Amino acid sequence: MQQFTVQRIGPEINIVGVDLSFTNASLFMVISAAVIMLFLFLGSKEKKVIPNKLQLIAEMSYTFVAKMISDTAGSKARPYFPFIFSLFMFVLFCNMVGMLPYSFTVTSHIIVTLIMALFIFIAVTIIGFIKHGFKYLSIFVPSGVPAVLLPLITIIEIISYLSRPVSLSVRLFANMMAGHTMLKVFGGFVVSLGILGGWLPLSFSVALTGLEILVAFLQAYVFAILTCIYLNDALNLHH
Amino acid sequence: MKSFLSLLIAFVAINTELFAAEAGMPQLDPTYWASQAFWLILVFTILYISISKFYLPKIKDNLDNRENKIKEDLENANKFKEESEAKLKEYDLILENAKKEVLKIHFESKSTLDKDIQSKKESMEKEIEKEILKAQKEISELKKNSISSIQIISGSIVSNIIENISGDKLNESSIKATVEDVSKKNMNKFL
Repeated sequence: MQQFTVQRIGPEINIVGVDLSFTNASLFMVISAAVIMLFLFLGSKEKKVIPNKLQLIAEMSYTFVAKMISDTAGSKARPYFPFIFSLFMFVLFCNMVGMLPYSFTVTSHIIVTLIMALFIFIAVTIIGFIKHGFKYLSIFVPSGVPAVLLPLITIIEIISYLSRPVSLSVRLFANMMAGHTMLKVFGGFVVSLGILGGWLPLSFSVALTGLEILVAFLQAYVFAILTCIYLNDALNLHH
Repeated sequence: MKSFLSLLIAFVAINTELFAAEAGMPQLDPTYWASQAFWLILVFTILYISISKFYLPKIKDNLDNRENKIKEDLENANKFKEESEAKLKEYDLILENAKKEVLKIHFESKSTLDKDIQSKKESMEKEIEKEILKAQKEISELKKNSISSIQIISGSIVSNIIENISGDKLNESSIKATVEDVSKKNMNKFL
């Protein structure tokens, strides 16, 4: 679990009794953001009609996220495209950077994913109330439900709505942590089984690395698409 | 295989003990929660602003440009295609007209040539006839002249012969008369 520990880098920054020091977590957030910006800068630098590889990847990620939003939340979600694009890229690059040996996985910390999920939850709720007023509460009362079941369903709906930030954050955090822990465990097997028995866990480790890269992408996608779905609930109220 | 599995299980046990010794999950240690939250919000805000204000409009511009370019090119291609088709039709029309004209010119020139030849032929024939008439006249005149000169020549020949043979000079007029008589008799045989 040593790979998940947060350590202070440089001087201690203490603002009104709160420790806001620059840590290795902060460092890898900055690295991820810098890599995203570098990638997007190089990808949008040359305005070629026939794109080069980097430009093609940048444009593909643009159209990928744009399509994801328009498919799940429709055209009304267009103003939120930059946010969802940033979110997707940030989570994706944090996950991917975390796959490098000796690096730190920002998204494997519950506090990071929880803050993102809470922000999304609160923002979506505010957007819902701004767009629909108190009619937004009808999201808890699905239509076509027998009157007997209605109180129960409403309670379930409220609980499921309130548990959104928890499920969203825990999903990402747990996936990232579990993957890295697994890699660490198999890596430990390689060392402890030595040259004779270490080959089996080593091959597992290689396979798991591939799987983890897939999971890193998939979790970023899931995080973004769930945000889109929540946004869709807030924008297009039809239950 | 069985021994290998048992070995594996043993090592799992050892490893879990090792992990247990490392004490808990660092994620649940709240020492740096505030720091992580603060840096997350800071970094993400900067990222969001730069992406939404700078990178996305640029990429969108690129994509729009490409789409417009493709649309424009397609439109142009269609336009050129239509133009070329119209030009082809025009060309065909011109070619057809030219063919017709060629036929017309050919026909016209043939007819004028025929007429010309005909008229030339006629005038030639007339001239030839004239020439023939003239030649005939000349011939007949020559005939007439030749008769009188022949008579004179033959008269003198006759008088000379008689003089040489008999030594007498004969009356010229009588010789003339005889020659004329003979010539009148025999002339038609030669002329």
